[in-house]
Amino acid sequence: MKDYNIVITGVGGQGVLTASQILGWAALRAGYKVRVGEVHGMSQRFGSVIAYVRFGEDVYGAMVPEGKADVIMAFEPVEALRYINYLKEGGLVIANSKPIPPVQVSMGLAKYPSMEEIRNIIENEFKAKLIAFDAEELAIKAGHAITTNTVLIGALTQTPEFPLSAEHVKEVIRLSVPPKAVEVNMKAFDLGVQAARELLGL
Amino acid sequence: MAKVRDIVLMDKPGERVLLLGNEAIARGALEANIAVYAAYPGTPSSELTDTMAMVAQKAGVYMEYSTNEKVAFETALAAAWSGLRAMTAMKHVGLNVAADTFLSAVGMGVEGGFVIMVADDPSMWSSQNEQDTRVYAKFANVPVFEPISPHEAKEMTKYAFELSEKFKHFVLLRTTTRSSHARGDVVLGELPEEIKQGKRKFGEFKKDPSRFVDVPANARRFHPQILEKIEKIREELAECPFNWIEGKEDAKVGIIAPGLAYAYVKEALAWLGVNDVKVLKLGTPFPVPYKLLEKFLEGLERVLIVEELEPVVEEQVKTWVFDKGLTIEIKGKELVPRVYEMTTRRAVTAIAQFLGLETPVDFAKIDEKYEKVKTIAPPRPPSLCPACPHRNSFYAIRKAAGSKAIFPSDIGCYTLGVLPPLKTVDTTVAMGASIGIAHGLSVASGEKQIIVATIGDSTFYHTGLPALANAIYNRSNVLIVVLDNFVTAMTGDQPNPSTGETPHGPGKRIPIEEIAKAMGADFVAVVDPYDIKKTYETIKEALKVKGVSVVVSRQICALHRIGQMRRRGEKWPLYTVNEEKCTGCKICINAYGCPAIYWSEEKKKAQVDPIMCWGCGGCAQVCPFGAFEPIKEGEQ
Ligand SMILES: Cc1ncc(C[n+]2csc(CCOP(=O)(O)OP(=O)(O)O)c2C)c(N)n1
Repeated sequence: MKDYNIVITGVGGQGVLTASQILGWAALRAGYKVRVGEVHGMSQRFGSVIAYVRFGEDVYGAMVPEGKADVIMAFEPVEALRYINYLKEGGLVIANSKPIPPVQVSMGLAKYPSMEEIRNIIENEFKAKLIAFDAEELAIKAGHAITTNTVLIGALTQTPEFPLSAEHVKEVIRLSVPPKAVEVNMKAFDLGVQAARELLGL
Repeated sequence: MAKVRDIVLMDKPGERVLLLGNEAIARGALEANIAVYAAYPGTPSSELTDTMAMVAQKAGVYMEYSTNEKVAFETALAAAWSGLRAMTAMKHVGLNVAADTFLSAVGMGVEGGFVIMVADDPSMWSSQNEQDTRVYAKFANVPVFEPISPHEAKEMTKYAFELSEKFKHFVLLRTTTRSSHARGDVVLGELPEEIKQGKRKFGEFKKDPSRFVDVPANARRFHPQILEKIEKIREELAECPFNWIEGKEDAKVGIIAPGLAYAYVKEALAWLGVNDVKVLKLGTPFPVPYKLLEKFLEGLERVLIVEELEPVVEEQVKTWVFDKGLTIEIKGKELVPRVYEMTTRRAVTAIAQFLGLETPVDFAKIDEKYEKVKTIAPPRPPSLCPACPHRNSFYAIRKAAGSKAIFPSDIGCYTLGVLPPLKTVDTTVAMGASIGIAHGLSVASGEKQIIVATIGDSTFYHTGLPALANAIYNRSNVLIVVLDNFVTAMTGDQPNPSTGETPHGPGKRIPIEEIAKAMGADFVAVVDPYDIKKTYETIKEALKVKGVSVVVSRQICALHRIGQMRRRGEKWPLYTVNEEKCTGCKICINAYGCPAIYWSEEKKKAQVDPIMCWGCGGCAQVCPFGAFEPIKEGEQ
């Protein structure tokens, strides 16, 4: 495989970096050459965050070029939209639909767009597909809101042409989380898989 | 996913692991049998230091968090003088702080290998300026290495120690945000016996005043010696494993790719489908090995240099070509921007333009479509955490000093106090500058202007100390509020003299108020910013005093506290809005601005996000109507 490119976005503190590391390990264990791009520091303080996971022969740098991401996994709807320029035409966006309004919105200095507005730009302007669902609700159903990123990773594995198997990724999560958190994470993963399959009509 | 500490210490040569660039450098230092490591944190270098902190004791390495880059540099340097392998690390601007020692000591050289890791931040993801450390390399006549991947970063670290020892010269290892913070597959090498056994190594300093005392008579000898060394190193680097020529041997067109730009060039060529060019991959942007350059240029008619930031390689190449009287077309900064970081897009665009090709995707069209996104996606700048004590300090300062006061501030999490609604940061420059700027502003206004400087604990020890001495000595009239959260929070929660702890056990705590008193400040007080009223009153009182007042606003970093509580499985109080009491006045949002509080347009009331609330209760103190109430235990 030449290259597979994932962009992960969200709000600092949501677990974007953890998700990127898990996917990086999963790709490494599947034998691929891997690059994970992260930004540490300032932006982790509740700012907008982006991380990149890439694997395959033609992968050298840690950043996914604009217009080249196969899939975007977003922890928050506006953060899906903010980085849509990274997605290739015909790519897929998997997004948590639960918004986190920035302080500027509460202060009345900015407006938070509706899901329809977001969908419109992603699907009509950028010719991509968006599947959005409340991943946090599913995480709470699995046992803890903190597993929202596991729900989303579960959903991600259902992306058409995703090079890693769901079972393989699930196993890496099982090995990565503390023993007492394994069960909730496994549940969260399955709920994410289910949600994506329904939305993708699989 | 094993723990970083375990991977970096793993005794399994040949094992393939996933490491961050900075972690890979730490592993490289262990494989090189490092003895002493001293550094002050700074993004994007910090994980190297934090990884060394995790592994040092087990590996028998002396490691310390120093109080600034200059003392860190000196600590490691003296170890290298004593025949030990030593390393220091810093962010790009850290080298400005250490520059005096760096440029004065370079002529003295070293006995043990001495590697200076400097992490640049093109595009300034977490920095106050954009500077290119390779220019320092040229300035000091020190070789600089720049890796393309975490694995190469590890290998380069080892090679850098050897080169340093061979030529008894300093060596710079320069990374950027994109190589320090890239994770990639790394193949582990052998660990030396001493590291495996965790045996501390000791050195011996052999007195030689003719070498280690830089009086002019000695220093005059240093300069020509440095120039001689760097030319020998230039020769050596033609054979270095991180510099090579690849691609079509009899090509007419060549591309020079220094450092990480090589990664983007490789991707760009694959994306463009171009394979009839020759590429010079340069792991040592200074000094450019001329022998290798000569070989590369053979048969070429046109050359493009794809270089990030300053034209360091470009100038060397052009000079050499000019001196040889060659007529090769050389393009660089005309096609490759001199500001901000290199990307595949930039490499593709430059190469396409140089070769007269179309780019594989129409970037201009993406930009055009993206304009719409910009208009509807609300900005989300970083903010102070929920329960951050700095928010309370700023809130109290602004209330006490009024908006006409000037607020010089400093570098740290509290820099975020510049954002609305707090807006209590009027200037920031470089670490420690708040106090000097405050003093200067006071002088300029004839001591009439109310000036309240803010500075964090780590920054205070870093460079605040001499500035405070100056202000007190010269009878300034300023209030300095030290935002003491016990840790160096911005760069990832490192300890400092306010913490008192070191990674390896107890250090010695140095209370800031005792320093201020000993220096002779005219007013000194300690407050807890979680008590907003008391903090406000103390600042009011301090402002009445003519002279230098120091108020230490002390409360543990909220992120640090919550992390500890999470690990221990402890709970913290959560606040909620009593909707009957909330009048919708928005003071909590428009004056205080905790990220856990948001506005419900439907209800016209403030709301608290229970996942974000870290329970400081500041909102309850700020609300004039008592609308914020703690949720009872059990109902959370
Ligand atoms: C010369 C220099 N070295 C290091 C840094 C990186 N850096 C940014 S803020 C900071 C210190 C923050 O600690 P502190 O002053 O205690 O404030 P806090 O973040 O804890 O609020 C450091 C080390 C820098 N910007 N400049």
